[in-house]
Amino acid sequence: MRLLTKYNRINLITTVVVMLFTGIIYYKAVSVILTNQVDKDLVVEENEIFEHVRLNHNLPEVYKSDDQQISFSKANEPVTRRFIDTTFINQEEKDTESGRGLISSVKVNGSNYQISVVESKVETEYLIRIIFSITIAVILLLVVSLFIINRLTITRLWKPFYVILNNLRSFSITDKKGIASVSSNTDEFNELNSAIVTMSAKAKNDYQDLKAFTENASHELLTPIAVINSKLDTLLQTDQFSEQQSKLLGDLYESVARLTRLNRSMLLLVKIENNLINDHQQVNVKETIELLLAQFQEIYADKSITVTTQLADKHITISKSLLEVLLNNLLSNAIRHNQQHGFIEISLNYNQLAIKNTGKNPALNSDDIFKRFNKSSHSEGTGLGLTISKQICDNYGLGLSYRYHDLYHIMSISFKD
Amino acid sequence: MKLLIVEDEQGLRESMQEYFTEAGNICETAVDYQSAMVKVNMYRYDCILLDINLPGGNGISILKDLKNNGHNDGILIISAKNSLDDRLQGLDLGADDYLVKPFHLSELRARVTAIIRRKSYNGNNIMTFNEVEIDLQAKTVNVGTNSVKLTRKEYALLLYFIANKGKVVSKNAIAEHLWGDEIDMADNFDFIYSHIKNLRKKLVEAGSTDYIHAAYGMGYKFSD
Repeated sequence: MRLLTKYNRINLITTVVVMLFTGIIYYKAVSVILTNQVDKDLVVEENEIFEHVRLNHNLPEVYKSDDQQISFSKANEPVTRRFIDTTFINQEEKDTESGRGLISSVKVNGSNYQISVVESKVETEYLIRIIFSITIAVILLLVVSLFIINRLTITRLWKPFYVILNNLRSFSITDKKGIASVSSNTDEFNELNSAIVTMSAKAKNDYQDLKAFTENASHELLTPIAVINSKLDTLLQTDQFSEQQSKLLGDLYESVARLTRLNRSMLLLVKIENNLINDHQQVNVKETIELLLAQFQEIYADKSITVTTQLADKHITISKSLLEVLLNNLLSNAIRHNQQHGFIEISLNYNQLAIKNTGKNPALNSDDIFKRFNKSSHSEGTGLGLTISKQICDNYGLGLSYRYHDLYHIMSISFKD
Repeated sequence: MKLLIVEDEQGLRESMQEYFTEAGNICETAVDYQSAMVKVNMYRYDCILLDINLPGGNGISILKDLKNNGHNDGILIISAKNSLDDRLQGLDLGADDYLVKPFHLSELRARVTAIIRRKSYNGNNIMTFNEVEIDLQAKTVNVGTNSVKLTRKEYALLLYFIANKGKVVSKNAIAEHLWGDEIDMADNFDFIYSHIKNLRKKLVEAGSTDYIHAAYGMGYKFSD
């Protein structure tokens, strides 16, 4: 729920409850006051009757009145004097209205009479109703105007917040440009903004440092690796080797080769992440695949892998070298993780490229395989191949995805339109 | 051939020098920008192996200086930078080739040999090793009068062997030369064996001596 909605809800509920509460108190108070007023009238009437009886020693004439009815009836003994809420029958309109009555008694010539004075409360109730309606109207008006005012001013007040939020959302640590400053005359937002600007700048800075470190470290490693490599080549030229020594040398060669590949992959990844490779051009994916397949022919033939292709011409704008790296990675994975007498099926059409291969491994976790240094235990690879592939695809808006179906591992690239 | 190796890293410089030093080769070295400038201004070389990052200056300036003075020495840039821009800049400025560290000495030698061949055998595209005769233009191989039909990879392999004749070439180096740097898909290099076997068989069947010798299970040596 949005803050504004939440605030409005609380605000409105409180307002309505408080207003209703005051409305009820108001109603009660006005009721009591007006009933008191009526009661006073009734007492005045009663006194008049008493006065009349005292002076004339008989009951007064009962005269007709629109809003007051007096009646006498014989009573055996004096009745308790009390006020009652009763009904008032309006003779003219033949209508029953609510009324207020006073029951009292008077002694005339030795016999008791019960006096009942009833006054219509219709005027009073009318008054109360008007007062109550006005109160309700005021509540409604207040609620509506509060709602509108809140909506307008709060939306305007929060505007800088949403701008800051948008900036944060579009913030990318790999992007060159930082978060733009948002000026506002609200102190809280200014503070929030400056905190975010500082934080993003720091994050960027740290990230750049880290990246620079990776790049520099990889660069610095190149020279010692080059020396080891050349020394190994030189060592190979010296005397005869025993079988054990050859085995050791072979292992060294293998490890240095892996170190070299790892190092190159790291440098390449940094370069791709930095968008430093931008020799974009129109490339026919089909031709690149055919070229690579020819290149790898001996290697998959060595494993007796059957490769079937179904390729249509597809041109995309991409760096040729990166496309080669991408396809190279995917194809080498399809070959490396394949089994003896396995199959590779490559299909390319206007919308997508799919590379299917049989393999030793069961289905892989599609969330993890694109992470750095995530590889199967017996893989000889660097663990960066799919990370690099994913990064290349991300840079060019291609969708790279993995799924496992029918004993086939399927890597597919969907092309944007 | 007469070579100049400009490289500040001692270990690498010595290995390169050692690999190229043999009868008939003169191999000089320079450790920094100044000494390299002195040497390239005084002597002419068949090929200069030029590192880009040097103490005291940039290898690219040496390259520019050479080209400005109209010297025609072959130039192979050796750099730790594997970016396309650097490569293109080097080649645009007139370098003959560009090799990225780390590399195999056999690969370096094959590249240097190719540069020198291009420079010094103008018009003559025939290379011979004893009875084996290679037409570099037509990419054909003859042993005496018999022509040998080689696949593209076998042909590249033969050239690589001849450039590194008398040296043990590791299987890794061969694989990288024939299948590129990204050859990380093979769990082993056994598939190279069949290529070597085929090349050997074709040459011997055409009447050549068997020059290819397996070396300690790590590589091969092409020699008399």
